[in-house]
Amino acid sequence: MITINYFGNIAEAAQSDSETLEQTSMSLAELLDLLDSKYAIGKFPFQVAVNRKIVSKQQALNISDSDEVALLPPFAGG
Amino acid sequence: MERFQRQIILPGIGTSGQQKLKSSSVLVVGAGGLGCAVLPYLVAAGVGRIGLVDGDRVEESNLHRQVLYNENSIGSLKVDSAQQVLQRMNSTTQLEIVPEYLSAENVDNLIEHYDLIIDATDNLEVRYTLDEACCSWKKPMIYGSIFRFQGQVSVFNYKGGPSYSSLFPKEDKAVLNCEEAGVLGTTVGITGMLQANEALKIILGIGEVLSGKILIYNMLKNDQQIFELAIQEEQTSKKATSPTIDLISPEVAFEAGGLLLDVRELGEKPVIAWENSIQIPLSVLEHRLDELSKKVKIYVFCQAGTRAMSAAKILKEADFLQVKAVRGGASDILKLIQIEVNSIEKQD
Repeated sequence: MITINYFGNIAEAAQSDSETLEQTSMSLAELLDLLDSKYAIGKFPFQVAVNRKIVSKQQALNISDSDEVALLPPFAGG
Repeated sequence: MERFQRQIILPGIGTSGQQKLKSSSVLVVGAGGLGCAVLPYLVAAGVGRIGLVDGDRVEESNLHRQVLYNENSIGSLKVDSAQQVLQRMNSTTQLEIVPEYLSAENVDNLIEHYDLIIDATDNLEVRYTLDEACCSWKKPMIYGSIFRFQGQVSVFNYKGGPSYSSLFPKEDKAVLNCEEAGVLGTTVGITGMLQANEALKIILGIGEVLSGKILIYNMLKNDQQIFELAIQEEQTSKKATSPTIDLISPEVAFEAGGLLLDVRELGEKPVIAWENSIQIPLSVLEHRLDELSKKVKIYVFCQAGTRAMSAAKILKEADFLQVKAVRGGASDILKLIQIEVNSIEKQD
C-alpha cells in the first residue's frame, strides 16, 4: 500500500488529509496522473515529498509498497 | 540584566547570548497575525533593534487574531499601534517602523540594515520580492504562512541554504490568503511563535535551524511533520564561489564617471538617455557581454537595485572586475542627470 498525505488546499480538494492506495508499485508520474484525474490537483502549485524528502515532480522515481508520499502546496495566509 | 535572568541561566545562552540578542537586528515584514505573534517575543527577549514594515490600518476583523491591537486601534496604522504596545514592553528596544507596503522599489533599502528578515506577509507577490532581495543580500529569511488550520515554517537563504523560490518556483496559480480562507488566532499565533523561535535560535547559535527543511503543523491534529528539501548541487556550488558585489549610492556612481549600465527591460520607465549610459536588459546580458569593455568602470542600475545585483554578479563572473551595483534605481539616476544638464546649460 502507498500512503498519500495531503496538505493545505489540496487536502480540501481531496476531502481528506490522507489516503492509502492498494497499488504496491507505480511511477511518480503515474501516481500524479492518477491523483490529477481524481482531484484535479494540477490546478494547484505544489511540491511532492516521498518519505519526507522533497523530490522533483519530473523525477523518474518508482513509488513502492509502504512509501509515504506528501503533496505540499505553498500557504499564503498570515 | 535582571529582567533576562531566567533566560540567561539557560544552557547555551548566558550573558554572552544576551549580548548577542542586544546587538542583533531583525526586520519583521507584516504586522498582521504572524507579526503580532513574532514581535512581542523578540522585544521581550531583548533583541536590540527591530524594524516593522506594513502599510495597513487596523480593522475590526483583525482583532480576533492580531493581538497587539485593541478596539481603540481601529483605523490607526498597524505599525503605530504596534510600536506603542511594544515600546511599553521594553523601553530599550530600538523600534523602527515603516508605514509602507514592501515592494520592489523599497525592498533593498528596507532589508539592508538588518541581520535577519522575518516574512510575516500574507501575499505571495511580496514574498517573492522579499525572497529575491534576501538572496541578493544573503540575508536569512524566516518564512511562516498558514492555510486554515495548518501552518508552514522554514528558514531560507541561511548560510547558502535554499531560497523560497527554489522550493516553490513562481507559478501562476491561485493560493488563498486569510481573508479568503478564514483563520483562527491560535493558528497564526503558533506559526508566528515558531518563526520567533527560529529567529532566537539563529541569533543565539543554538539548536537546529529549519534551513533546507519545511515544517508543517496541523493544529487540529497536533501533528507536525518536517520535509527535507532536495539539495541542488549546481546551486550550492555556484553560491560557494559567488563573488561579492560592492553596492554604491547613485551619487557616487554618477560622480565617478564610469559607464552607467541600465539592466532594466526595454520599455521600463523612466527612460534614461545619457551619453555615459547604455541599456542591456538583464535577460539578455549574458549574450551581449562583448558590447562592454573590461577596461572601464561599470555601474549597474535597475529599478530598485535587485536586478543590478544579479547583473553585477554575472559581470564579475565574466571577469569584469571594475563593476559595482547601484543602490536605488533609475529615478535617482535621472534626477542626477537632470541636475548635471541644468548646470551645463547655466555654464553655457
